[in-house]
Amino acid sequence: MPKIDHEALSTAARCRHYAMCKIDYLGTGLCPSGPEKHFVTFYPQGRMDLYRGLAEGRIPVTAALAEAADTCDLCGRCDLQCHFVTGMQPTSVMRALKDLVEAHRRAGGEVLSPAEDEGLRKMRGIVGRDGASNDPAVLWTYADDPFPLAGPRMPRYVALPRSRDEVSALVRLAGALGLPFAVRGNGGSVFGFVFTDGIVLDMGRMRGIAFDPENWCVAVEPGVTSFELQQEAFRRGLRVNAAEPAATVCGNIVCTGTFSTWSNVYGTAADSFVDMEFVGLDGSVFRLNDKRAPNHFAFEHKVVPSPGICTKAYVRLHPKTDDEEGLLVPFEGLDEAVRFARELAQRRLGLAVGVLGTHYIATFLSPDEGLAAKLKEALPQALGIDYAVFAVADRFARDAIGKMAPAVIDASLLRLLMLGLPRLVEPSWLDLIREFEGRERPWELLCRADMRPVVEAALRPSPETVSESVPEALRPFYRELYARPEMTDMVWLNMHRIVSARMSRRKHMFAFLVYVPPDKPLVIREVLDGFARVAEANGIDHDFGFLTPMDLGRRAILEYDYYVDHTDPAEREKIARALPEIEPWLDGLAARVPGVLSLKYVFSQGCSRKENFLYRV
Amino acid sequence: MRIGREGLRERRAARAGRVLVTGGAGFLGSHFAVALMRAGHPVTLLARSSKDLSARDRVARIAGWFGLDGEARRRLAVAEGDILDPGWGAGAGGGDLADVDEIVHCASSTSFAERRRPEVEAANIEGLGRVLDFAARGRCSVLHHVSTAYVAGKRSGVCKEDWIEGGEFTNVYEETKARGEILARDACREEGIRLNVYRPTIVYGDSRTGRTLRFNALYHPVKAAVRLRDIYLADIRERGGAKAAELGIRLAEGGRLVMPLRIAVGREGGLNLVPVDHCVDAFMALFEESLDGGIYHIANPGTTGIGDLVGYARRYFGLEGIETCGTEDFGARPKNALEALYEAYLDAYRPYMQDPRVFDGANAAPVLRKRGLACPAFDEAMFARCMAYAVETDWGSRLPA
Repeated sequence: MPKIDHEALSTAARCRHYAMCKIDYLGTGLCPSGPEKHFVTFYPQGRMDLYRGLAEGRIPVTAALAEAADTCDLCGRCDLQCHFVTGMQPTSVMRALKDLVEAHRRAGGEVLSPAEDEGLRKMRGIVGRDGASNDPAVLWTYADDPFPLAGPRMPRYVALPRSRDEVSALVRLAGALGLPFAVRGNGGSVFGFVFTDGIVLDMGRMRGIAFDPENWCVAVEPGVTSFELQQEAFRRGLRVNAAEPAATVCGNIVCTGTFSTWSNVYGTAADSFVDMEFVGLDGSVFRLNDKRAPNHFAFEHKVVPSPGICTKAYVRLHPKTDDEEGLLVPFEGLDEAVRFARELAQRRLGLAVGVLGTHYIATFLSPDEGLAAKLKEALPQALGIDYAVFAVADRFARDAIGKMAPAVIDASLLRLLMLGLPRLVEPSWLDLIREFEGRERPWELLCRADMRPVVEAALRPSPETVSESVPEALRPFYRELYARPEMTDMVWLNMHRIVSARMSRRKHMFAFLVYVPPDKPLVIREVLDGFARVAEANGIDHDFGFLTPMDLGRRAILEYDYYVDHTDPAEREKIARALPEIEPWLDGLAARVPGVLSLKYVFSQGCSRKENFLYRV
Repeated sequence: MRIGREGLRERRAARAGRVLVTGGAGFLGSHFAVALMRAGHPVTLLARSSKDLSARDRVARIAGWFGLDGEARRRLAVAEGDILDPGWGAGAGGGDLADVDEIVHCASSTSFAERRRPEVEAANIEGLGRVLDFAARGRCSVLHHVSTAYVAGKRSGVCKEDWIEGGEFTNVYEETKARGEILARDACREEGIRLNVYRPTIVYGDSRTGRTLRFNALYHPVKAAVRLRDIYLADIRERGGAKAAELGIRLAEGGRLVMPLRIAVGREGGLNLVPVDHCVDAFMALFEESLDGGIYHIANPGTTGIGDLVGYARRYFGLEGIETCGTEDFGARPKNALEALYEAYLDAYRPYMQDPRVFDGANAAPVLRKRGLACPAFDEAMFARCMAYAVETDWGSRLPA
């Protein structure tokens, strides 16, 4: 075996499978081989896995592996895409993969080409020759995720259906072959649902988007990602309630029901769609609105299998106005912040609303991990900000919020802070603010309109300034990127959610989501303390995520996050110890307090009416 | 009393009593502790750990800053703890804290901001309560309570060295320090503990060297002006000065920055400033001489006018355009952004900038006279010494944390 580049291996092992290299979210264009071949194997994410698999001796050099290596032209796009969210630069891994394959060839090593068996032949009969594979390298890129509690699980085949009828035929074929199947959209699977030793159906070729403005909906096929759909809706002056950018829209609805800060007004679960089309587990096709269809609008308080494979979702479209802007209202305590967010919901003020902690704010705003760490410290210590309520609001709602809050970081100040971030965390500037002893809090001073000239002079906000925090080679790209207005527009960023993908930048993230009653601060405190207690007892990094009011503030969804280095066996053990502690505690709380429900129970029931799980009658 | 006058005198003379200093890593706490050790007293410092350093390491660094010699260091013990910790009082008493005979209580919050009331009360009332409980439970026979002259609250004219019960206060700091004195008085009376209350005014660096460990009070507003100067110098030198021009800020001949900034000043008083070396000398004199207990102002008989301070700063830091003006004149013209910021910044300090209070020294004066101690005046040379050290240490960022 040729020499392994251990630095490249370490980078490869840290791939979070966020699939951000599968969407063109920065306008760089995609890795050309990905959209051509469709298998994840031919995207940077797949090549990261291939290098790891090859270096660890888990897969041989195969025809697909060699092709994946050869089709990378080291263009460097993946460095830009990956660095934006993870801080990593995968080109070194791509180069190492190519070198390894080349060295293998030079040494006269065998390039394995697995024979087509009967199952594959039939599968190719359905999806075409290029639409199915049993090449071990391809299978390997569908066998594993950063989910640290399970090892790799190699499927026997991967198939790429192009239509509902092909999905149906594949399901029937799986039945005939006696093989289980799993459906794969994009990204990583938090709890390992997308692995099987049978057939993986990658929906990446079903990418149809058909807008129906008369009916305020858009028909979306299962390979369409949230980013792509939102981008198309945005172009038309519309909006959808979208999940993480690389997540597929259909998969997300079915799995958990889409939730986001926009759920404040757009709801979740069945609120997100007009109708959905499924291929059932027996290959039959049904639509949810058909009275003869199984009732997936109902909810059962237990873990249940999914209704089948979603082949089309008629996603609801929402209007937007041209005066929407993002803002932040800082708070020193969580209770006050939750109370404020709930009040906005009750008074129907604002669209997207969420309570964020300093960890989220710092991570979202900072293009670099080191900068994020400094900002996370500076927010509470120097500026006195422990929490902030984020809101997207039109001008009328902004006027009202301005009257309700002691001070507001408006869109222009937020843009200024984002572009001046490296200066904001400089000790000399922070000193000036930290030692402010006046009646106003430091952030109130910062928000004052008459302070703006001084703040601008101190922070020197510009694409050049914010780019100082990234590695030198990437600065020209970041300067161009941050010169684009949308990169500092909190409405655009929040709709497309590209900065929230930074949450896993430092370590793999375990997101725990719980529906809570926001009018009960003690219950919220109990939930947060419970997660913190288990994390502390097991030595796990942890932090508050966000809380978004829903249903006019009657309920809220709360996220608490654990951070685990999935490449470190000791960290994997920690999370393995912690998870079994959480379930009984949270179940007990849910049984005792109406309105508390772990999102775990909504898995696969994302099509249900939210009223059926938010309220128990 | 837990200890008789003679017994105390003998124990002091023999250097046989151990002194616990709370806030031992703080500004006054560290200075008092070092003076006590240099005078031969065994000292235990109560100190908190910081994010990166244990209490012991913090104290070691501070001892290094003082140049504490080996002999004096042998008298030093460090107890890691925090009077803000609700469990501290109950848990303390063993180990390094078992043999405490006297306590110098310096741990305190000096924040003026009402929005910080919970943390100020936690330190100055609840924390003090834990120290008093600890004193009551142990064998402590003398409490040296470091307070402030500003417990006098909102008043004009002569403030005597008497107990302050009730009245109005300028801020939460003054209020809690006044309440703390009464708490200490009542607890000590009940337990038979002798009590000295020390009330310094605004303490700054060493009058001979300008050295200090903290850059608050006097330093804050000066530092703010210097930071603003640096921001606009960088704007002019590196980016053409567009932002500076918006506010009429420009470079004058010789590289001095013209920064139009008016500071509103009333007619009364000035700042009462005491250098830390005098504060320490006065404290040690009173510590040694006042065996029966008492209240002592450590103040400057004179004050420094804001106009003088502004002039010192202007000349030392090459700042033109900063000037004082009457409050009526200030209101006559709209404020520019710098003035709005600076006004907000000075808001908390304003009661001390034009202080109409005069601190009577009837109790302290005889002791200080006996020792030949007089508070040095704060003049331009003193300002320059202090600011040279501030700049040398980048306002403390290069000092032990």
